[in-house]
Amino acid sequence: MTTPEQRQAVEDLIYRSCLALDQRDWKGFLELCDDEFRYTITAYSPEIRKDMVWLDHDKKGIDTLLTNLPRHNSDHSPITRHATVYTVDLDAANGRAAAVSALQVFRTQLDGGASELFAVGRFHDTVKLAGSRPKLAKRVVKLDTRLLGYGYHIPF
Amino acid sequence: MAKNAEQWSAKPKFPATHYVDARIYSDAQIFEEEKEKLLKPSWIIACHESEIPAAYDYRLFSHPAGVPLIVVRGDDQKVRAFYNICPHRGNTLLYDPAGNAKRVTCIFHQWSFDTRGSCIDISRAEQGYQDRYCKQDASLREVKCELAYGGFVWVNLTDECMPLSEFMGGAMGILEPFMQEPLEVFHFHKAHVRTNFKLWHDTNSEFYHDFLHYFNRITGMMQPGYFDRKYTGFPNGHATVGSMQIQYDKYEGSKERAVGWPGLARGGWYMVDVFPGMTYNLRTSVLRMDTAIPLGPNEVLIEFRGLGLKRDTAEERAERIFDHNMIWGPFGRNLHEDLLGVHGQGRALRPGSDARWIIQGREENSTIHDEIGMRHYYAEWSRRMGRPAYDPYRAGKPEPVRAAA
Repeated sequence: MTTPEQRQAVEDLIYRSCLALDQRDWKGFLELCDDEFRYTITAYSPEIRKDMVWLDHDKKGIDTLLTNLPRHNSDHSPITRHATVYTVDLDAANGRAAAVSALQVFRTQLDGGASELFAVGRFHDTVKLAGSRPKLAKRVVKLDTRLLGYGYHIPF
Repeated sequence: MAKNAEQWSAKPKFPATHYVDARIYSDAQIFEEEKEKLLKPSWIIACHESEIPAAYDYRLFSHPAGVPLIVVRGDDQKVRAFYNICPHRGNTLLYDPAGNAKRVTCIFHQWSFDTRGSCIDISRAEQGYQDRYCKQDASLREVKCELAYGGFVWVNLTDECMPLSEFMGGAMGILEPFMQEPLEVFHFHKAHVRTNFKLWHDTNSEFYHDFLHYFNRITGMMQPGYFDRKYTGFPNGHATVGSMQIQYDKYEGSKERAVGWPGLARGGWYMVDVFPGMTYNLRTSVLRMDTAIPLGPNEVLIEFRGLGLKRDTAEERAERIFDHNMIWGPFGRNLHEDLLGVHGQGRALRPGSDARWIIQGREENSTIHDEIGMRHYYAEWSRRMGRPAYDPYRAGKPEPVRAAA
């Protein structure tokens, strides 16, 4: 059972991760991640009836990916991540918590400012509680949305 | 000095084979003609055999000409394709994109069909139809279907079509040595772009747009020999590109290629562009297949598949998936840039935009920055459409279009 303080800390970490990514503050995002951090995006395809991995990196890999982002051509419309933390389950023996959050991603067009729902899915986060501040040890983004249009490749 | 209206509209200073009228990418009438003259008579990839491995497995496919299809493996293991349309009241027979159906039953009035297309049950048939209509009258519409070239399921809507091997005209020869063992799809996703389907194929038909890609600018384009690969045109509008070895380690974040592909040199790359909108792309450890499904003159749904070997170990498969995702995945480094490119063309070429010409004038001895791949495609397009792509609105009977240089 998590204490209110532990739950608050985990929720705060997840929300800060969204804010950092929304602001393209890659350094700030990585500071929220433990050295063992692993980031994965998965989706299930009803078409081929298979689970798919769409991205899988350790911390160094995700750092490289984020560093390279500005060097690529991309749609510049900002995206906004909305997470709602559903559950936080404590693994006291290992000093970790597992959190499941609903994720909605909106994209706002630069020209005119229209916002549209871009993707939905869930964060399955493993949070390391040891130390002064909890850190992300693992994030699996399980996407429901598989049609992501054109020109965007920034991780959620 | 910028151009005025007259100069902007003037034909480019190239032979007529080296440019096309931009309106072929947005004209609704031309698109309707393309469905009849290009898409219906062509062999099109509907899915891969690994998507329907067991008897009664089926896969739905929205044919580029607009016809909804069911591809199903029968009890005899033969793969067949039928219209996904009930012959009774025109309802959709199967709804889920894939599944297993021993019998196909229309939810509307419970008419049932087997996987060979025969009607096996009409509810209350005798009471309603007496002896005027029976199961034998109610078969499904079957379309031509063949498994070939890496285990892909090809369909053709025209009963009198040429055989698939004749349609391909030898274009697959470059890839056949690498497709001698069973393959398996591990990746599938779609992209919806408001652009003409030919523009996606154009992108796959020229490498000059390497400049779009940071990845290519720091890997392939820096290497000796990169520009020496050649396009080769084949009958019926297909084209191939020869191999090279890409030095992927020039891109930080890539890693040493270990798993490879049987017979393919490390870092090798082969492409086959199949008319009118499919591309085989074999690179390093992954085969990618694009199928462009136009939804309108300025709207396309592109299906992307990633394939490995059926015999892959879990470790080998994971490595292929990593290789695939690095460049071609939805969060990869190149695919989104290509999609952004054709999205931009869709914006600029929309009806009324006064875009006039698409130039395909680069000549570099048929090497990869030569735009001969596109010229070859539009020579075939013009032949089939009976309109020259450079002057599609010419009054009277269109003149024959000479072959691309």
